Amino acid sequence: MGSPSGTCPECRTPVDGGDNFCEACGWELAVAAVSAGAAPLAACPQCRPSLISADGYCERCGRKAPAGRDHIELGLRGIAGVTDRGLRRHRNEDAMALALTHTPTGRAAVAVVCDGVSTSGHPDQASLAAANRAVHVLTAKLRAGTAGEEASTSAALAADSAVRSLAGQSANPPATTYVSGIVAPIAVTVCWIGDSRAYWLPASSPASARLLTRDDSLAEELAAAGVPAEADAIASPGGHVVTRWLGADAGTPRPHTTRFEPPGPGVLLLCSDGLWNSRPGAGDLAQLAWPRAPGDLPGAAAGLLAFALGAGGHDNITVVLIAVPPGHTGAGTSHRSTPR
Amino acid sequence: MSALGFTIEIFQNEYLPAGAGEVNAIVTVTSAGSTAPGPPATPGAAEIIIVDCSGSMSDPRTKMIQARQATAAAIDAIRDGVAFAVVAGTHEARQAYPDNGLMIADAATRKTAKRAVERLYPHGGTAIGQWLRLARELFETGEETLRHAILLTDGQNLHESTEELAAAIKLCEGYFSCDCRGVGTDWLVDELRTISTALLGTVDIVPDPAGLTADFEAMMTASMAKEVADVVLRVWTPQHATIRFVKQVAPAIEDLTARRTPAAPQAGDYPTGAWGTESRDYHACVDVEPGAVGQEMLAARVSLILNTTSGPQTLGQGLVRAIWTEEEVLSTRINRHVAHYAGQAELAQAIQDGLDARKAGDDDAAAAKLGRAVALAHESGNQGTANLLASVVDVIDPSTGTVRLKARIVNADEMALDTRSSKTVRVKK
Repeated sequence: MGSPSGTCPECRTPVDGGDNFCEACGWELAVAAVSAGAAPLAACPQCRPSLISADGYCERCGRKAPAGRDHIELGLRGIAGVTDRGLRRHRNEDAMALALTHTPTGRAAVAVVCDGVSTSGHPDQASLAAANRAVHVLTAKLRAGTAGEEASTSAALAADSAVRSLAGQSANPPATTYVSGIVAPIAVTVCWIGDSRAYWLPASSPASARLLTRDDSLAEELAAAGVPAEADAIASPGGHVVTRWLGADAGTPRPHTTRFEPPGPGVLLLCSDGLWNSRPGAGDLAQLAWPRAPGDLPGAAAGLLAFALGAGGHDNITVVLIAVPPGHTGAGTSHRSTPR
Repeated sequence: MSALGFTIEIFQNEYLPAGAGEVNAIVTVTSAGSTAPGPPATPGAAEIIIVDCSGSMSDPRTKMIQARQATAAAIDAIRDGVAFAVVAGTHEARQAYPDNGLMIADAATRKTAKRAVERLYPHGGTAIGQWLRLARELFETGEETLRHAILLTDGQNLHESTEELAAAIKLCEGYFSCDCRGVGTDWLVDELRTISTALLGTVDIVPDPAGLTADFEAMMTASMAKEVADVVLRVWTPQHATIRFVKQVAPAIEDLTARRTPAAPQAGDYPTGAWGTESRDYHACVDVEPGAVGQEMLAARVSLILNTTSGPQTLGQGLVRAIWTEEEVLSTRINRHVAHYAGQAELAQAIQDGLDARKAGDDDAAAAKLGRAVALAHESGNQGTANLLASVVDVIDPSTGTVRLKARIVNADEMALDTRSSKTVRVKK
């Protein structure tokens, strides 16, 4: 959550507690919300005021208290995100980061969603490092007036370096997927590597909702090569394998970017594959998000999470909704971690 | 005490299908013993040998002679510095050595004690409750905390009521442990088992008095290896949970469920007695309120507690968990430790049921139950129990449990099967 006072985390120059960014390097010091984990709860949410034991269970009902990254909800003005362990995985390897910033042309909202590659070493650290690093680069670049696509590419490359620096001598270096979204006054910019996605969900009609990204997956590559979509190779779980990611074993990262100017108000959705695994259409997702968005973005995000859990919750699930135009909501800042 | 290393391991399938609430776990407790070099430091160990001196011990004449020799061998196995005494039991209890209280073992006192044992002669009746009461009184004269007795008898408790014996057992419960041995075949297995179970000891038959010396020596050596007294298993369970059972399942089955004493809110203590360098397995079965799919719950927290004069000390802890899932692959997975001991418990029960049926004169039911036992012993590789069964039934096919009751069953063989049927084997590596 920024640096209240002291030194800039980027260049170590002394900064004032009231500064929004570092005067020396431009590093964003303002409000950024990162799903770094919640402090363990002091009391059981089911049977307050009973205590939580040192091993993390309620001393009365025995239920495991939600802790760490199991379930985190984040919110800033016009952005809401939720990340959840799901029902099958033993930990949450997804991460998200949200921030608000000012560009020379006005307010901008940014978010990053990363899904740690579960077969790599420490995927949870990879996703968090990438999201945390990227959101700070995005806000700093945008504040300096850098164009959305260029800022996005810089942020993705910085995220890649952050993940690479975790590798050490590991034979199985940490890896993560990546998707970022910038909602600026005029345009929306999306950047991705891997199979985390972005959708445009217009307020006007769910039918015109659409997927903005194209997965770096075996299925997509086969489809691009002309294999019919209904073929086994594409429909099978094997088709789901990601072909590109961030990390020391990924080669030179080549992030994809796309930019478009929304015709009217709506919501930009960023998500990990935990949401789209059960193959909902863009229109289905829009219908789930509306009518609660944009007035109740946290409620809309919770609705999408509930849908994914209802579909089996096989993977970690992360959902971030950004109002278009930026800040288009009445909700204030919040940061909470609650049980399901 | 600080040099003691205890570890607790939990073996279970923590995944439950939606709506289920029964949680099973095997708790393996291992004591690495004292890490200090040299012989184990036993601050305050006391030993009492209780020898039946009733009139029946003179028939055959060699029985009393062998009992004296066995007692002498046990005395020789008592380490220097251990407090000890010998009690002669008849329809009353008499202190055979020393004249009063306990004596500290050394070469001289052991020699004097053995001379006193030489003078034991059979006369009178049998009142085991009286013997236990005297043992308790003698232990009370000392400060020792590791209190252990060996009780030898050849007959039934005819000279006091069942209630008197029960009251005496109750008085001694939790105060000292007692290994019981029946010599010959005129004693009652259930009677001695009641004592050994309550006093956290073993029970066994020594059919031939000639076997007594080796047995006494072994018991005393095992007792001398104990380093910690009064260790309990503390089991915490969530609100609205019920404990179906807590059993020791290795090295032998001992149901501890009814031995629970309240310890803390939602927690109870189960006695485990004294520990040396050894490993034991326990089976805990708890019913919890089913949780939502995806929910994790702590079904039991199992702690090993040593009660010291300065308060309880936690030696180790293990968590028994429950996680509800819709994935059948997970919830139907059989934990082999739990399955193994469920089988060993069934084996012990089948033997008891079979022996009961035989006593009731229902040979068909006895053959069916003992046949099932043969199959279970065969399947789990419990060769000791399989051998005992083979002395009572003719095994036609061990894998299916097809057996025939032997035409003539030796009394001692049946009693040996009865006393030793609770012995289990551990899970194969």
